[in-house]
Amino acid sequence: MTTNIADICLVGVGAIGGILAKELASAGLKVVAFERGPAVKTEDYSPRDSIRFIARHDQLEWVRHEPTVFRTRTTEPGKLRYGTSPLNALGGALMHWTGQASRFMPGDFKIYSNEVATGLAERAKADLSEYDVVDWPIGYEDLEPYYERFEWEFGVSGAAGMNPFAGPRRRPYPLPPLRHSGKMELFAAACRRLDYHPFNGPAGILSQNYRPPPPFDTRIAERPACVYCGHCNHYGCHVQAKAATLYTVIPVALETGNLELKTNCKVSCVTTDDKGRATGVKYFDPDGQLREQRARVVILAAFVFDNVRLLLLSKTDRGSFRNGLANSSGLVGKCFFGHGDLRVYGLFDDIIINAFIGPGSAAMRIDDFNGNNFDHAGLGFIRGGTMGTSGDGAPISRMDVVPPGMRSWGREYKEYFMRYYTRTFDIHMAPETLPRRDNRVDLDPRRRDPWGLRLPRITFAFHQNETKMHRFLAKIAEGILREAGAGKVWTELPRPTPTRQCGGTRMGKEPGTSVVNEYCQTHDVPNLFIVGSSVFPTMSGYPATATIAALAYRAAEYITRQRDWFR
Amino acid sequence: MDSKSKKPRAFRGVTLQALTGQQAQLVEAIAGRIFPATDTPGAVEAGALFYIDRALAGAHKHLLPQYKRGLRALERRAKAKFGSPFLKLSAAQQDVLLSALKAGRIKELRSGEEFFEILRSHVLEGVFGEPSYGGNRDLIGWHLVGFPGQQYGYPDPYINRVVDLEPVAWDGPPKKPDEV
Repeated sequence: MTTNIADICLVGVGAIGGILAKELASAGLKVVAFERGPAVKTEDYSPRDSIRFIARHDQLEWVRHEPTVFRTRTTEPGKLRYGTSPLNALGGALMHWTGQASRFMPGDFKIYSNEVATGLAERAKADLSEYDVVDWPIGYEDLEPYYERFEWEFGVSGAAGMNPFAGPRRRPYPLPPLRHSGKMELFAAACRRLDYHPFNGPAGILSQNYRPPPPFDTRIAERPACVYCGHCNHYGCHVQAKAATLYTVIPVALETGNLELKTNCKVSCVTTDDKGRATGVKYFDPDGQLREQRARVVILAAFVFDNVRLLLLSKTDRGSFRNGLANSSGLVGKCFFGHGDLRVYGLFDDIIINAFIGPGSAAMRIDDFNGNNFDHAGLGFIRGGTMGTSGDGAPISRMDVVPPGMRSWGREYKEYFMRYYTRTFDIHMAPETLPRRDNRVDLDPRRRDPWGLRLPRITFAFHQNETKMHRFLAKIAEGILREAGAGKVWTELPRPTPTRQCGGTRMGKEPGTSVVNEYCQTHDVPNLFIVGSSVFPTMSGYPATATIAALAYRAAEYITRQRDWFR
Repeated sequence: MDSKSKKPRAFRGVTLQALTGQQAQLVEAIAGRIFPATDTPGAVEAGALFYIDRALAGAHKHLLPQYKRGLRALERRAKAKFGSPFLKLSAAQQDVLLSALKAGRIKELRSGEEFFEILRSHVLEGVFGEPSYGGNRDLIGWHLVGFPGQQYGYPDPYINRVVDLEPVAWDGPPKKPDEV
């Protein structure tokens, strides 16, 4: 038992928790931060070892005991899955992310107003029955200053003004784009011939040595430029060019002396009092002892699954939290979504691609088929997704790329792989998934983790809007690869599991139809915040990282303004 | 087939850690069909077997029973269908059995498809993985496909050019070029 009352109890020290810890501790607040995984060292994440990080997913070694249960419909019992995005260690998934650092587009925040209310969806002949499409309570302009802070504190490389579909910005990117690879040049040239608008995808990877200049946080250490080793997605960065909180904002937070970091500590629930306020958390210490930490404000900054799980695990027997904490709307866990992992492959006979050189986020992209940037009339769906070149890596990460109809072993396979390993590149897409209440996260009724806590259970399927969009986007990408000179081209439609998961604690103006407000503060419990992609009311045809970082800076600023909470 | 003896089992001069000598022979033969030697070396020459044996004593220890079951079933099927042990069959006959395994049509084995996919992945990992795990001898796998290995980085983007670097492998912490 500890009687010390912290100002802030922070659950999860990954991308979001790292930013929040720095911002709040720097404002003089006493933060106690819980991370269920260990504090990893450079030698834990930096080896350029494809057996370890691709074949064996050893970045998940730190979390193998905590799977999720996945099913596509309620009649299935569900299967245990380990390979989901989060990394349970200090620094979180930014340790091994690809680095795609795009801001959402202005229209991504207003899908209901722009596309449903105006009749565009009807003109598209999109069937949106069962979907629950809403606007965000904030817009691009509200997040713009915070996107800027993310870009300048972590060092994002990009070319402002190159993407005609991007929202307005006050400042350019702090760094020029990453060096071009062969596949980027091919992709860009093909897109230009097709009258699309290729641009350098903004990357959370340093193109030059970098330290944030004033007026940004100059306490953040200088880091070196990318060396284009290509061991990038799923690997930690051996030179620390990749934007990760572990070696940027977390050391600054610790320097303040206001952050107490509790690694290998697993939070089991948020505690509340009779007045319906959060009082702190219960957690298992590294020895498995259940302990309690009291705090004036509790912030959940874990991944989607655990933000939802903790709210549901924190239900009380009596009072207003019988269905889970902050769940008066009944929406905790509902409207969960993620991108379909849609890829199109092309084999080149006359051009050497060398796709293993450089990071995946050194990419040319197009947004011509993202969001509402194209005419959807009669297409049968709304929205879309960004598409571009990707990181391809060592042979271990390419050995399952086999054209349809070819035997995946034996002489034919060997000759194919020898010829095309250096002559293949793929276009990866990020097709947006619209929210539905039947796509959701709840607690598995039977299966538990080693602490005895019920595992998160995901029920998810792609539905009519997504499947039509996937086919449409694949055709576009196949056309680009053919234009670039590929001989054989084929599509791999998404497996049922979504990537880049979001939703489950949706943000909105009304307590009846959302869980948190625009500052990530729960409607029901004023001193409980949930920060992360779980608050997204709708998605985007872009990865979530820049947007969750922006939400974290904005939430931190709001919390530090509430001086009377911490007297 | 499962030796109870505790004394170390050597195979081609290497001490086996998980498999028996007989199992090792069978796995090596399968590896040789999954990624065969042609006019260039294949999985046997790359030592994929030794990658697998080590993995089955370590990271993939939990798969050893599945290997034992699967190999036993494959051997039984070989004798039932062709009247000979797997090792004595022609390459074409071995391929027939492996195709049947991949299609889940080895009646002696439930979830044969899964075992085939495990075998295939492990054989290819043994060809293309880092040599510190026991396979990819002499960097055979990387030479075959033109992958220069665990490079510190690439000062040149090699746009539409063959990468003319000798493959490298390291074991130990990453080094900066000036420390190498």
